[in-house]
Amino acid sequence: MSSARVLGHLVKADFLTRVRRTSFLVTLAFAVFLGYQVFAGNVQMQLDDYRGVYNSAWVGALMGVVSSTFLTLVGFYIVKGSILRDETTRVGQILAATPMSKSFYTVAKFLGNFAVLSAMVAVMGVAAIAMQLMRAEDRTLHLWTLVSPLLLYALPAMAFVAALAVLFETLPVLRGGVGNVAWFFLWTGLIVVGVGQSASHGGVVTQGGYFRDFSGMPTLMGQMRTEVMKVDPHFHNDFSLTVAGMRPHKQFLWTGVEWTGVQVAARLLWFVYALAAAMLAAVFFHRFDPGRERRFRRLNAIQQRTPVVELAAAKNLAQADPWTHRLTPLEHVKAKNRFLALVVAELRLMLQGHKWWWYAIAAALFVACAASPLRTSSQGVILAAWIWPLLIWSKMGGREARYATGSLIFSAPHALDRQLPAAWLAGALLTLATGGGLLIRLVVAGDLRGVAGLLVAVCFIPSLALACGILTGGSKFFEALYTVWWYTGAAHHIRGLDFMGTVDVSSTPVVYGMLAIALLAVSWTRRRTQLAYA
Amino acid sequence: MKLSIENVGKRYTGNVWALRRFSLELKPGVLGLLGPNGAGKTTLMNVLATITRATEGRVTWNGVDVAKDPNALRAVLGYLPQDFGVYPNLSAQEFLEYLAAVKGLDATAARRRIDQLLNVVNLADVRGRPLGGFSGGMKQRVGIAQALLNDPRLLIVDEPTAGLDPEERVRFRNLLSDLSGERIVILSTHIVSDVEATATEIALISNGGLVAHAAPEALLRSVEGRVWEWVIPSADLNAVKQAYRVSNTARRSDGVHVRVLTEEPPDGARPVAPTLEDAYLDSLSVHRAGVAA
Repeated sequence: MSSARVLGHLVKADFLTRVRRTSFLVTLAFAVFLGYQVFAGNVQMQLDDYRGVYNSAWVGALMGVVSSTFLTLVGFYIVKGSILRDETTRVGQILAATPMSKSFYTVAKFLGNFAVLSAMVAVMGVAAIAMQLMRAEDRTLHLWTLVSPLLLYALPAMAFVAALAVLFETLPVLRGGVGNVAWFFLWTGLIVVGVGQSASHGGVVTQGGYFRDFSGMPTLMGQMRTEVMKVDPHFHNDFSLTVAGMRPHKQFLWTGVEWTGVQVAARLLWFVYALAAAMLAAVFFHRFDPGRERRFRRLNAIQQRTPVVELAAAKNLAQADPWTHRLTPLEHVKAKNRFLALVVAELRLMLQGHKWWWYAIAAALFVACAASPLRTSSQGVILAAWIWPLLIWSKMGGREARYATGSLIFSAPHALDRQLPAAWLAGALLTLATGGGLLIRLVVAGDLRGVAGLLVAVCFIPSLALACGILTGGSKFFEALYTVWWYTGAAHHIRGLDFMGTVDVSSTPVVYGMLAIALLAVSWTRRRTQLAYA
Repeated sequence: MKLSIENVGKRYTGNVWALRRFSLELKPGVLGLLGPNGAGKTTLMNVLATITRATEGRVTWNGVDVAKDPNALRAVLGYLPQDFGVYPNLSAQEFLEYLAAVKGLDATAARRRIDQLLNVVNLADVRGRPLGGFSGGMKQRVGIAQALLNDPRLLIVDEPTAGLDPEERVRFRNLLSDLSGERIVILSTHIVSDVEATATEIALISNGGLVAHAAPEALLRSVEGRVWEWVIPSADLNAVKQAYRVSNTARRSDGVHVRVLTEEPPDGARPVAPTLEDAYLDSLSVHRAGVAA
């Protein structure tokens, strides 16, 4: 069988596996939702108080940039996990036993990811056509003008994201939650690098700048600015792509991107970057060798510390007398504080496997929160204290699905009314412990509003984690959502989005208190449906 | 102590019935649930373990409808699913302690029970090692231990010996026999020898329905005088397979020893004592013939 055919089959199998999952429908639904938000004017591109007339050029550019920015952020989280899926389904071990090379596999995974992301871009393309026709400001369809931003801005960016997702999965440090957090900051960096270099040249993209422009937005900004300048000499040179911002009141006519050879080459180069990233991933790909898995290496290290005599005894089953040990009936003692014992067990489960330095940093953040001036503590240190346990919170609610322990836990009595509240309470205690330094500081300062805000956050964060875990059965969604929320809302103290509630000006504890209750209700309802009998 | 399964049916999406009009009444003892792959054994186990809800019919535990009060059954239930996972960072001891808390056991009594169980399943020496480094057989033994944590009155074990080496399999069979006195044990498997060693009753299941429910002796009597064995040259094996229902073949130095189920003895064949495997194959083929007719 030729290499191209093998590659084709690998990509096809990968793509079919994904599109036949409910999550793919959710993925497309998200693209439809985003397309609708653009159509409804909730996501808009504007230059000062200007927007373009809704013709093919403006709609295409808008959809192209929205896809290469917002959709790339989300797209990464959607496609990351394909190698892990091969590992958990054990298909990987079958593939590893074939002559297929490592680079072949990582390139196939990259193409599979790219196919999924391209389907989302296609949805945006359909939305673009619908948007232009329904807005009816200019119903003449210029197909190339409409789709070229999607093809040359969105698709190359998507290709790079598809390859990065594979690369992240092959790097032991980045394959889990750390990678999910790191992607958000890398994505921010990719966007900022492009925009930053054009801003430093008065909005003009240099020849070299085209090759560093990940999203295509700076290139577009430069050309649109020139057009607006022609109709308004007092134009302030502001460009924004906003969600739920002020709507522009003026219009200008945008006739489309003027593609030059350099621009097209720069965009196509992102496919080359993508291929290079996919090939680089092959260097780190362990080919499903359990001995090279980071987790296994750690476990082996622990086992090596176990006395040899114990291992020998365990292996020498022949020496064991089956009748040496008899089971005596269980003493049916009326247990005290069973719920408390379960909370402690959940807390131990959460914290298990963390090294001493995790606790040391958590303790240092606690002390820093308690010892710093109130303003520094409530606006700065608490941010670090409440991003630190992210990878612990993110396991909440999804642990049973991830480790396939559901049948053991859900067949126990009171799984809904004892285990679920215990898991939540353990999460809340962890949140309280990590943010406890600030609580002490607020109490000492007599800032009761701050105390209330912090306690609401202590309830809200585990509620969000639990709901995300139960709904998705994994940790990725919470890791992505929390990171974005933490950065945009809490770190910038934006009223309404600041869930931490420790800064007066942005604190909305009542809203987050109600949201926490709603999230708990969602968790309860979903878990109820997961159990055959509540 | 009584578990009643009354006309239970389970339909999955796509109008696929994995179980249909299944009725059985169980009292203390070991019920061996035998059936081919896809017969509906695991679905029945999941329904009985309150993991999945029956589409029709009902299950009662000591007269209490499980749908109305599932916790009455769960409090006395020990369940070893066919596929289950463990938390890789926890040790066997920690994992069992966690599940004991989930099951609501008293901490001191649970600790004592865990000590005993780890000895019984021969994992006491490795109790402190993370489960992520355990072999499949060792994880299976952890699964057996967790099923016995609460000293269950109803013990449901689905393919419990999968992944166990022969010696551990014998140990587990002995353990099951030892446990069976004051509780109902349901052992689902397609390994007939496991059932042969432990079951006091056998239920044969095929295509989601109950084919037979009887004591092992009764099943054996049903094929008495119809099991024959003789030695043939290798070259004749295919022809014999075409002509008879072959339950076993073994190549030896004098030729192939063939065991068949038939009313009329083949030339040169001698009658042999039937095994449960013979009875199982006979019941299934009679059932399939009936369905086909």
